[in-house]
Amino acid sequence: MAMYFQDLLLTLQNHWAKLGCIVTQGYDLEVGAGTMAPATFLRALGPEPWNVAYIQPSRRPADGRFGENPNRLFQHHQFQVILKPAPKNVQELYLDSIKAFGIDPLEHDIRFVEDDWESPTLGASGLGWEVWCDGMEITQFTYFQKCGGYECKPVAAELTYGLERIAMYLQGVDSLYDIEWVKGVKYGEVFHENEVEMSKYALHESDPVQLEMLFKSYETECKRLIDLGLPLPAYDYALKCSHAFNLLDARGAISVTDRAGYIKRVRDNAALCAKGYLKVRQKLDWPLCKTKWTVGEQLPMHEGKPASDAWKTVSFEEKEEKKEAPRG
Amino acid sequence: MAELLFELGTEELPARFVVPALDDLEKTFTEQCIALNIKHGAIRRFGTPRRLALLVADVAEKTDDVMKEVKGPSVKAAFDAAGAPTQPAIKFAESVKLPVDQLKKVSTPKGDYLMATVEEKGRRSFELLSDVLNLCTRKINFAKQMRWGDVEQSFGRPLQWIVALLGTEVVPVTYSDVKSGRVTRGHRFLSPAPITVEKPGDYEALLEKSNVIPDVAKRRALMIERIAAAAKKAGGTVLPDEALIDQVVNLVELPSPVVGTFEERHLDLPPEVLIQEMKSHQRYFSLTAADGKLLPKFIAVSNTPVKDEQLSIKGYERVLRARLTDGRFFFDEDRRMPLSAPERMEKLKRRSWIDKLGSMSEKTDRIRALGAFIAKAVGQTALIPTVERAATLCKADLNTGMVGEFPELQGVMGREYALHDKEPKEVALAIFEHYLPRGAGDGLPTQDAGAIIGLADRLDSLCGLFGIGKKPTGAKDDFALRRAAITFIRIVIARGYRFSLSAAIDESVSLLGAKLVDAKRKPTDPTVKDQLVEFFRGRLESTWKENHRADVVEAVLSAGFDDLACAQLRLEAISAYVSRPDFASLAATFKRVANIVEKQAKDITRDAVDPKKLTDEPEKALHAEVSKVSAAFTAAVQADDYAGAMAKVVPLKPFVDAFFDKVMVMAEDKALRENRVRLLMEIGGLFGTVADFSKIQAES
Repeated sequence: MAMYFQDLLLTLQNHWAKLGCIVTQGYDLEVGAGTMAPATFLRALGPEPWNVAYIQPSRRPADGRFGENPNRLFQHHQFQVILKPAPKNVQELYLDSIKAFGIDPLEHDIRFVEDDWESPTLGASGLGWEVWCDGMEITQFTYFQKCGGYECKPVAAELTYGLERIAMYLQGVDSLYDIEWVKGVKYGEVFHENEVEMSKYALHESDPVQLEMLFKSYETECKRLIDLGLPLPAYDYALKCSHAFNLLDARGAISVTDRAGYIKRVRDNAALCAKGYLKVRQKLDWPLCKTKWTVGEQLPMHEGKPASDAWKTVSFEEKEEKKEAPRG
Repeated sequence: MAELLFELGTEELPARFVVPALDDLEKTFTEQCIALNIKHGAIRRFGTPRRLALLVADVAEKTDDVMKEVKGPSVKAAFDAAGAPTQPAIKFAESVKLPVDQLKKVSTPKGDYLMATVEEKGRRSFELLSDVLNLCTRKINFAKQMRWGDVEQSFGRPLQWIVALLGTEVVPVTYSDVKSGRVTRGHRFLSPAPITVEKPGDYEALLEKSNVIPDVAKRRALMIERIAAAAKKAGGTVLPDEALIDQVVNLVELPSPVVGTFEERHLDLPPEVLIQEMKSHQRYFSLTAADGKLLPKFIAVSNTPVKDEQLSIKGYERVLRARLTDGRFFFDEDRRMPLSAPERMEKLKRRSWIDKLGSMSEKTDRIRALGAFIAKAVGQTALIPTVERAATLCKADLNTGMVGEFPELQGVMGREYALHDKEPKEVALAIFEHYLPRGAGDGLPTQDAGAIIGLADRLDSLCGLFGIGKKPTGAKDDFALRRAAITFIRIVIARGYRFSLSAAIDESVSLLGAKLVDAKRKPTDPTVKDQLVEFFRGRLESTWKENHRADVVEAVLSAGFDDLACAQLRLEAISAYVSRPDFASLAATFKRVANIVEKQAKDITRDAVDPKKLTDEPEKALHAEVSKVSAAFTAAVQADDYAGAMAKVVPLKPFVDAFFDKVMVMAEDKALRENRVRLLMEIGGLFGTVADFSKIQAES
């Protein structure tokens, strides 16, 4: 039985929904990866449990290839799963998910190969693997260690499935434009023109002067909203900043020397949002902690105390100075 | 006595963590056993991506009883005037459970004290091992540690299980959210059921039955054997790659190689590109035919022998196909614009090398000028145009798509693209060879142009980084300058280049010019040259000492090493003499000459010996002999025949000995004295150009 692109999406959604994840929609702003959506970046912070699955359309202006490259896209789709705290059997849960869409580990060589991840624009980093299926990377599997400059306690597991790649594999096609979305309709018929136009815009036609202006005003707006105690809308502007930077970068409008400066500005905003978010959640007394919401197997502590206890004593007011410059 | 098994089960560890972690485990275990006096037999180690384990033979059931001496009160305080024991003495006797009359007395610098010898009972190893094994776990120093779940402790990857068995008993060990037991796991997919280990000796066989080869060496041998068999079946041989084997062996628990193919049309890509595409992302092994050429085939090592090999091979092939298509894209794109295109040169200007030392373009300019300087210095004037052209292009490939994707291919792509641009072959080869050797086992440049550019590039890095205060200190050598200097020396010596090192340093420093000057127009480090010369001396010393006597090395270095290749020849000549039976006494004689010259020479003008002032027979004879060999000696030195030169001075020995025996060097008469010293200076001046004999260790 053919596994259409949308069967893959639905299979993954159902798999994680059955295990107790909430299924939400991808974020409605331009992001480069599912990690940047607030449902990952912000929710990975603090002691509260969070188990979510969503499809995130992800824009990478520099990867635009005018619809000509069979393996690269301006916009691709990620299936993003966050499990916090990471369950003890997260690898098994993950393996069940790939079995669900038809990859049997007795028929294919499945391996977990070291791949650490770091996002300088988010002040975030994690350790984990790329999951290989017969030598092809099908998923990024990351244990978050740090986010917005803060240590992640507890640690969230992030699973990012590259949907187009997996679909190409399952359908045995060499170009992602040949993926059958549903019987009779190909990926190319849905998205090819989008790739052509978006690539033209990002690589040739965008207006760097205007983008730079936008970058600055988004940045200012983000800071203004932080000061008003509104970290969630502030984070929207941090994301817009990041996208403006990506567009400038794709256009070749940022010199090597200036690049680090831009990245730092995006990171600083993201860090402010992270702090603002934590402050608000703390004021609300970490509401999700009262839900006992878990997915998969959780084991009792045998030694020491839960890492998430660290948040009980954190005061964001006092640490203002220290946390101003989180490590990236 | 019992066997001990300690296994840490983890989620997949990075391949590079496995062996160092086993080293740490074994080291901590051994240290702790020594500290706690736990006797044990041989240790075996097991490691796969999912486990780190020690199997220890013959662990003593308990530690030995030991006799321990306990000091009590001073004798003065222990007995009263009548010699009866006081309260402190009685208390002490009670505490060590001995009658007072069995206490010994011991003298110390602070006076006499009571002392008791008590027996300390050994403890059960079982009880001690809990802490030992916990410490072993904590003290593994992973290159990167991580946390998981809701625990504070960290490890290389999340810990899943611990097996700790002494004999048949579980040793309690707790780490983070895991408690020890006797349950291990087999192959993740082939043998997913938990496995109960009854006793440590069963461990390896149980795992092998469960599709895991836990012994790294055994797994490695099996993998190599299976890869070779697969290669043979495919009609080829595996391209040797130890580093790849070391990596892949710890990516799998059960090595299961499969052979795949790629389209033949890709064989027109440079072999280095194909090999890199296969190994760097995919960890595939390349196959070669009998003629050494690459076959359009590869070997991938699966962890799982899958049900239908063909299905999974199709997957491996598909990934490589996408990569090769990408590689071909870069190769074609890159070749659209020559290496020498103004746009590429422009990009070099924007490519920073090292902050204070400017762009790659500036470095290229300096390499070109310094290369021409060195070519001239070594008498290769005709080669200057080739050196200059190759130097201009030597870093241009850094801005190509292919090198962007595979930095390891720098130089290789430069050569390929230069050939495509119809640059002269020597230029293309020099671009490639200036990076040689790139690592252990790599050859040196085979042609002069590449060798000379390589020297210029390395010397520029050395002078530049020393000049801005970034010389290596201790273990810190971020820019691999030690290797740069050693390679510089190796190339000079291998190619027999004769030139002045200090003059080349001067030239390099002057080319760096303003880069080494701070805002106040002062050199950032005025002692660059001295430091560098000293640095080169250190490298020569450590390299030479591997194969030569330390005092000989010192003697040769003290006589100068500005001409590196010449210093090497002198070293070899002297070293050849060292093994001769008469070397010790010969050295002693020359050392005596050298010592006197060193002490007296500073007060005496360097005039010629005045034959009229030679009074005694032995000094006349010596002078006559010196005059006889002097010209021949100098001729030999000029012909770089240092063995020959040494052979010329050896016959002087009996004359020198007779001179020291019979003639008083430190004569009362100043004129006589000075003349005698001058005679010794003349001899010293001869062999002093070869080596400083005062540095030789010899019986006097």
